[in-house]
Amino acid sequence: MIYLVEGLRHRYGTQTVLRLDRLTIERHKIVGLIGPNGSGKSTLLRLLAFVEPPSRGRIVYYPEEGNAGNEDARFQVTLLGQEPYLLKRTVLANVAYGLKVRGDTESLEKRAAEALEWVGLPPRAFLRRRWFELSGGEAQRVALAARLVLRPKVLLLDEPTASVDMESAQRIREAALRAQREWGTTIVVASHDRHWLFEVCDGMLHLLKGRLAGTGAENIILGPWRQCGQDLWAKRLEDGQELVLPGAPGPNAMALIPPDRLALEHVLEDSSDSSPASAPYDGACRIAGTLLRLTLERAGGHILATVAVGRSLFTATLPPSRGLRPAPFYPGQRVELIFPAHDVAWFS
Amino acid sequence: MDYLTEGFIKALHLLVGGHPETFSAIETTLTVTSWSMAASLILGIPSGFLLGYRDFRGKRAVRTVVDTCLAFPTVLIGLLVYAFVSRRGPLGELGLLFTPAAIAVGQTILALPVVIALTATAIESLDRQLRISLLSLGARGRQVLLTSIWEARHGVIAAALTAYGRVLTEVGISMMVGGNIKWHTRTMTTAIALETGKGEFAMGVALGLVLMAIAFVVNVSLAILRKRA
Repeated sequence: MIYLVEGLRHRYGTQTVLRLDRLTIERHKIVGLIGPNGSGKSTLLRLLAFVEPPSRGRIVYYPEEGNAGNEDARFQVTLLGQEPYLLKRTVLANVAYGLKVRGDTESLEKRAAEALEWVGLPPRAFLRRRWFELSGGEAQRVALAARLVLRPKVLLLDEPTASVDMESAQRIREAALRAQREWGTTIVVASHDRHWLFEVCDGMLHLLKGRLAGTGAENIILGPWRQCGQDLWAKRLEDGQELVLPGAPGPNAMALIPPDRLALEHVLEDSSDSSPASAPYDGACRIAGTLLRLTLERAGGHILATVAVGRSLFTATLPPSRGLRPAPFYPGQRVELIFPAHDVAWFS
Repeated sequence: MDYLTEGFIKALHLLVGGHPETFSAIETTLTVTSWSMAASLILGIPSGFLLGYRDFRGKRAVRTVVDTCLAFPTVLIGLLVYAFVSRRGPLGELGLLFTPAAIAVGQTILALPVVIALTATAIESLDRQLRISLLSLGARGRQVLLTSIWEARHGVIAAALTAYGRVLTEVGISMMVGGNIKWHTRTMTTAIALETGKGEFAMGVALGLVLMAIAFVVNVSLAILRKRA
């Protein structure tokens, strides 16, 4: 274990933005953080980086050698934000800054050049460039190089590819994974790219309104819900289907459906029922959609199916294939998601 | 208008010829303003950093006080310093009254709120991500302070120049606690006031030209610094 979080409460003003009773993060692993905007991902990363203290509770960092304590974290943990700040200096000065802070000034240029190579920036072309001569993607890669040159024990990444071009995103991902592979760096990464996280992460944390909601692939259906009977709540999905579920605590509640509770079935082509499937609330709910993608989840070894319903995406775990027959699903198929109404959890 | 032209020509003669009284006033001015600026920057930049960087109880009240001090009349500062350093004042024993040191103290009080307020504004205007980046790269305390000030260097330099403009051109403090003593505490501004009162325009114009030249050099230096940065 490299982190232990206990009884954590973090407030901004009067609003509690994060409440985690207990959380552990294992050494040398890649942990993904997912959740909608405002769910507390960035706050958690800042707390894990010790750039701000929690309002209540404790976060303990366990260094590989020595006693548990947060003093070691200063030089072993580093955070890369979505839009990191580059110092108004050259690329070399930016990449070498952390080393200078540590009083480690040996072969600065050589080490900075190596770090730049890691993120796919040719050192000859970039070392002497100044901060304003970089594109957004290059600036982000320089910022990552400034972290990698420190050979961190923990690399915290806060949506590092959200505002960069595809090539930069790919380089950033590769460099981070290489750090984990070659140095055993523990990586905690927040990203909206669920498929990438499923593919690379050893574990996932799903944050919702500052609380842990599950381990990653849970489906969230946001409100508003319209009350359509006693304890029955309806939501019209973007493609016109109406989902009716019992037990919502209010019109703005969020419904949470674990992916392993969603079963997948083919929609028969000769089915002439063209009207949107109305989900029965007393038993299994059914939602029709299009299978978009199949992803192998690294952590559990499951195959995750992503189904588009209008613009919303649902994730279902496919059952293991029986015998030698592979699961008969492929992208582009019309499928139905089926789940028992009582398996829905609600967040107010 | 002839007397103005004549005064201007005489002023050039005084400057080119190295008129001792004129150069004494220039030297006194440069000496006291250097002291006061050094003191106000040493005290003001870290204070401005703390005011702009840290959140603490009463921050808004402190900021209001500092902003109010920006409008302090120089004669009021002169009066306060006079009250403290005159024989009957709490610092009377130091014998500072009518010395360049007393002028420097008064000018420090004049410049300090300018340096603090403008440095705080420069630090506040820095990207919030700077602090997170520095901390996450391992910087702490003095390293964060120095790097942040460096990042806000244009704002800090502007604060210093604004403060320098105020201390260079003030009359009230120099007159009240300096006493405008020839060869000793007579600064450029008090000399201009005195010589103009006497109808001696030439020395007043000469000193005015020097003041303008200093302002010009300072601003050109700032422009070069900005370009290099």
